[in-house]
Amino acid sequence: MSGRRMKTELTITREPLDETRLLRGRKASAGMGAVVYFLGVVRGTEEETSIRALDYEAFEPMARHQFELIFQQVAKRWPIESVRLVHRIGEVVVNEPSLWVEVVAPHRGEAFAACQYLIDEMKRLVPIWKRAVR
Amino acid sequence: MTVQVSFYSYLKELTGASQVTEQLADGSTLGELHGRLIERFPKLEAMRRSTLLAVGVDYQGADYALRDGDQVSLFPPVQGG
Repeated sequence: MSGRRMKTELTITREPLDETRLLRGRKASAGMGAVVYFLGVVRGTEEETSIRALDYEAFEPMARHQFELIFQQVAKRWPIESVRLVHRIGEVVVNEPSLWVEVVAPHRGEAFAACQYLIDEMKRLVPIWKRAVR
Repeated sequence: MTVQVSFYSYLKELTGASQVTEQLADGSTLGELHGRLIERFPKLEAMRRSTLLAVGVDYQGADYALRDGDQVSLFPPVQGG
C-alpha cells in the first residue's frame, strides 16, 4: 500500500473527549482486520504528590505541523489505512482522557507498532506541555 | 535584522514575557540569538541545554542562519499525551 493513501484526522481541542461519538465515527474498509485504540488518561499524582488536573498548553500551528510529519513517517513505514488522533488542551481533570488515538490497519502487528511509534514520536516532537493543577 | 521570539510553557515565567523582539546583525545564527536571550534573561541559562529551538513550525539547530522577520520559538522539552 502506498503511504500517500493513509487518511488522517487530527483534532486539538479544549472540549472533553466524546469517546462514544469518536467510536461511532470509525471507518474501515473490507481489507482491514485490526483497529487499535489508545487512551491517555490523567494520573492523580505528579512527582509523587496529588494533583486535581493537568493544564495542557500547545504551540498549535507547530503541533499540527509536527503531527503531520509524524503521520507521514507512519504512512511510509506501515500499510495503515487511517489514523485519527485527538489531543486535549486546557485543563483535564484526573481520570479524564487527554489523548485518544485510533489506528486502522490490515493486521494487528502493524496497527500496534504504528500506534506505539506515533505516541513515542509525539512525546519527543510535538510542542505540547502540561502543568499540574493542585 | 529583526526577529520575533516567542516563549512557551515555563520559559514564559522565567522570562516574564511570552514574546519579545530582538535586533541582530545580518548573518546571525539561532545559537547566537539564544546566547543573546540568555544575557537578556539570565534565568534561561539553567535551561540552556534542554531548551528546544524552532523557526516557524520547524525545529532548527544552533547553526541555522536567521533571516529578517523570522518567527523564533524557545520552549522546554515537550510533554504531550
